[in-house]
Amino acid sequence: MLTIRSLMRPSRIVDAHCDIPCGIYDPEQARIEAESCLRIIEKHDASEDKLFRARCIHVKEERAELVKHHLDVLWHDYFKPEHLEKYPDLHDTFWKASKQASKVKQSLDAAAARELLAMIDTIDEMWKATGGPEKTRVNGRPS
Amino acid sequence: MARARGLSGPLFLVLGMAAGITVGRRWLDVVEVRGGSMAPSLLPGDRLLVESRTYRLRAPRRGEVVLAADPRTPERELIKRVAAVDDASGSAELLGDDPAASTDSREFGAVPLATIRWRAAYRYWPPQRVGRV
Repeated sequence: MLTIRSLMRPSRIVDAHCDIPCGIYDPEQARIEAESCLRIIEKHDASEDKLFRARCIHVKEERAELVKHHLDVLWHDYFKPEHLEKYPDLHDTFWKASKQASKVKQSLDAAAARELLAMIDTIDEMWKATGGPEKTRVNGRPS
Repeated sequence: MARARGLSGPLFLVLGMAAGITVGRRWLDVVEVRGGSMAPSLLPGDRLLVESRTYRLRAPRRGEVVLAADPRTPERELIKRVAAVDDASGSAELLGDDPAASTDSREFGAVPLATIRWRAAYRYWPPQRVGRV
């Protein structure tokens, strides 16, 4: 039987969507992988063990690749055209940071890894200034 | 959409619902909003009366809130505001009212007018925010 309730029941869902899945972004993710790269380079340099050094190189390359991935996600998913208006050098910053991550992937240069951290921190500042912490993290984590 | 002036909101709603049954949800339908890209105009959980009559008679206009097939996932239906209409190419730019929380034409480009069939006309739920969209 048709009731008011059944009439008012939506026939379908319409999406005022933001891309699924989650809208959770934080440059910290890239930074942690970049910190791993730096620490692995230091451990590599301090070791005499050939096998250990080989493993360091392998793992560092994986981590550097993850830095690039996390930067990419921030670049094309988090940042939007109106952010570009505020930061006209946004594309250039990401491009250089990704290149720097490639450099860290290819080399065992601790200075390059530190430079990468500094570049991620620049991106972190943009993320914070555009309301990232409030908008793209879940509130309520104990500090 | 042309309709008699002076109809009060609730009356329009009741008439709309009644008409909805008679036309079997082809002209009128009710939908629920998911997601926050249309905030503050529309919030998640808002229920809307939508109608498909207008766009059989004319093209969507700037400022109207419309349902459109997601160009990347056609089985998904989006609700966005028309930001611009290009008659020459037969397409419209759709944007969310909250740009920071919206995936829209900035990302997937303009959508064909033919994929826009429904106009959001009226919010009937929640009760404290009943009114025209």
